[in-house]
Amino acid sequence: MPTFKLDGKPIPFDAGETIIKAAWKQGVDIPHYCWHPGLSAPANCRMCLVEIAPKPGARPVTLDVLEWDAKAGTYRTTQKPKLQPSCYTAAAEGMEVLSDSSEHVRKARRDVQEFLLLNHPVDCPICDQSGECKLQDYWLEHGRYQKRMRDEPVHKPKGVVFGPTIVYDGERCVMCTRCVRFMAEVAKDPVLDMRERGNLNEIFVAPGRQLDGHYTFMTEHVCPVGALTTKDFRFKARVWFLRTASAVCQGCATGCNAHLDYDPRYNRAYRYRPRDNEKVNQFWMCDEGMLTYKQAHDGRLVQAKVRGEAASMAQAFEEAKSLFAGVPKESVGLVFSAAHSVVKQIAPSAKALQALVEDVGSGRVTHVIALGAAAASATDALRGATVITVAAHQGPLADVSTILLPATSWAEQSGTYVNSKGIKQVSDKALEPLGASRPAWRHLLDLAGALGYEVSTTSLKQIRAQVLGGATVEALAPSPVTAPAE
Amino acid sequence: MEPVYAELEEGELELPAEPMHLNMGPSHPAMHGTVRIVLDLSGETIVRADVQVGYLHRGFEKMCERGTWAQVFPYVDRLNYVSPMLNNIGYALAVEKLCGLAVPERCQWYRTILGELARLSDHLTCNGAMAMELGAFTPFLWLVKAREMVWDILEEETGARLTHSFGRIGGMANPPSADFKGLCRATLPKILGLVEEGEKMLLKNRIFIDRLENVGRISGADATALGWTGPCLRSTGVAYDVRKAHPYLKYDEVDFDIPVGTKGDTLDRFLVRLGEIRQSIRIINQALERMADDGPISCDDPRFVLPEKDGVYTTIEATIQHFKLIMEGAKVPKGEVYSYTEGGNGELGYYLVSDGTGTPYRVRIRPPCFQITGGLSKLLEGRMLSDIVPTFGALNMIGGECDH
Repeated sequence: MPTFKLDGKPIPFDAGETIIKAAWKQGVDIPHYCWHPGLSAPANCRMCLVEIAPKPGARPVTLDVLEWDAKAGTYRTTQKPKLQPSCYTAAAEGMEVLSDSSEHVRKARRDVQEFLLLNHPVDCPICDQSGECKLQDYWLEHGRYQKRMRDEPVHKPKGVVFGPTIVYDGERCVMCTRCVRFMAEVAKDPVLDMRERGNLNEIFVAPGRQLDGHYTFMTEHVCPVGALTTKDFRFKARVWFLRTASAVCQGCATGCNAHLDYDPRYNRAYRYRPRDNEKVNQFWMCDEGMLTYKQAHDGRLVQAKVRGEAASMAQAFEEAKSLFAGVPKESVGLVFSAAHSVVKQIAPSAKALQALVEDVGSGRVTHVIALGAAAASATDALRGATVITVAAHQGPLADVSTILLPATSWAEQSGTYVNSKGIKQVSDKALEPLGASRPAWRHLLDLAGALGYEVSTTSLKQIRAQVLGGATVEALAPSPVTAPAE
Repeated sequence: MEPVYAELEEGELELPAEPMHLNMGPSHPAMHGTVRIVLDLSGETIVRADVQVGYLHRGFEKMCERGTWAQVFPYVDRLNYVSPMLNNIGYALAVEKLCGLAVPERCQWYRTILGELARLSDHLTCNGAMAMELGAFTPFLWLVKAREMVWDILEEETGARLTHSFGRIGGMANPPSADFKGLCRATLPKILGLVEEGEKMLLKNRIFIDRLENVGRISGADATALGWTGPCLRSTGVAYDVRKAHPYLKYDEVDFDIPVGTKGDTLDRFLVRLGEIRQSIRIINQALERMADDGPISCDDPRFVLPEKDGVYTTIEATIQHFKLIMEGAKVPKGEVYSYTEGGNGELGYYLVSDGTGTPYRVRIRPPCFQITGGLSKLLEGRMLSDIVPTFGALNMIGGECDH
């Protein structure tokens, strides 16, 4: 593999790769606003400028610049190397790139930072990005100057509603065009663009349109500053109070990798952020999925019920015992929904469910244990049977169940999920269990014990080993994820 | 009842007496701090003294390791709460050593003055309280009146009489107030006057002298072996003072002497503190001459020092600086450091470990009076019960810094 040198450190790269991407793959962060590993590079923020040493024998490319000479009290002409955007310059074998070690680069970063903050409003106290904002991080890392401009900053529209999900603040925008490029390149709906010039330019939505579709949240996600905010998260929480768990989105069988941000003080989830995984979702998530974090709280079952009446867990198990006493095993049916289990291996196919419905109709099956309350198509047919439902969420099946046992949702338990492509992924526990809910597997084991079935498994570890067929959990970490956190 | 270890010779006592087991403290009106001494008495003679510390343990090292580096200042105020400014300055110097920061000249003089004022407060309290515990209430009022004057100055400077939280990484919270020098110059002679009056009542008092002289004697070698520092060590004749031995701030640029004792008894400790009060005033007077009237009081490094407040409200740069320093804390470079200064009771050391984040990884404090209290039982054994009060009082054990 060819390599180049960044501040003296050898960095391998694939042919055609840019300097910044090759460095990023090695975990070396060259400061940047506009570059994003999943988007094209416009090289317009100028933060990633680096100094590239001339090839041996070649004349260095320099610029004439005026420099203030404090001693002489006048400007003097001097020269400095022409810096180049590392997001747009392809790496070449043996190239010598200077980033942190170049005085010119450090000065350029400082000046770019000052330029980007010239007209920035004093918004940190009311800005949702505060605490995860690149302007803040880079000012302390690379800026560290105090304001020199004494003029009134340019004012631009604030709180512009871009669509059903996104609000735009023109004053905070650094015109990196990540959102514009995301809509054009990934969402394939070029509805955003930039208008005006110089310090007047702003992002706008194409006339007659609004920012809608399935991927609007990602425009906020790629925004390196607080210019784009989602209506959903706006003013809801301050990010430094949030903790993050690595979760797997439960919205569909793709199983996008996500960061679930929650506030441990209130035991409440506040948002999803996509977690990079080349094999599953790359850098992105859809709007529907981004909002599924709400299911950690909405429509939850948190109390055991017997015939619709609230009951203690012990009462519910007693009732189950008496209901199932003397029932032959062949009269007991089982329904596992995908939401609570490992999709491919166990979840029912439509055909199997149909067979069960027929069996109930004909009286061959009189008692049913269901995991998950969402089996709508079978609800009516199961009305005749005695049903025990273990579920985290309300659903049609819950209404016809004789006994209802509350289970924890994905946010309250760590678990392994197998997506539609068969990729096994681990989701970590974020919240404490709500109400009286307990992990579903524990309910099932206790039920089995209470109803007199022989159980060979007693711990989560054993269950996991069976599901994974030998693969260890450690082996399931997302594939070569990205280095520096966005 | 625990076993009594008294092995008494027949006929040793005037009257045959059962050895007695007695608890002194942790809450006792004549005790100088919250400490428990379990005594085995033979008559009034102490056969064995088991000194038990820890009654003021608050887990402050652990508390310090929770917030940001700057949030440690209020905690260290509560170490030796009689001289919080010295703890503040010691901690600030430790973090600055780790960061490689050098504070401006003016700040160094300012810290020197504030620190010596705190030392005045410390020694005045210790000597005054010890006299009071021996029944001499009037001198206590004299010395505490002088301490009030010290606190008036500190209140004028910091806004708080006791727990100032005035130190900052890379400087102090505020520059000296406009009339700082005038206030000091007007107050110091008054303090000296009060000290002279107070000591006159004690040092020619036969009862007082008799209760201190030759009581609680320790040799220089023993004291050094125990790890004693400060006035208690110097009372034995060992002239070790961090300010002279390893000068910091501006101590190498001012003239002052190290008062030492000869016998290492309680009276020597009392006299050493009186001498140090005079030396501190001498240092302050020199520093007042040398401190500039204007100039920066804090470093100009946005990574560690907060911006001016008006800038925070009006410019985004200062807002960001403020935000990063408050919410995430100053990122102190990875590494570890031991930094030590002369506190009120001796060598006050901070051993800090940084993992490069805004929160200290480890804050270990070496409080001077922990080692000193460790020597207490040795001083007491064989003495009379009534000797406990002056001996313990002169060690100046401060629960806040001892228990950790």
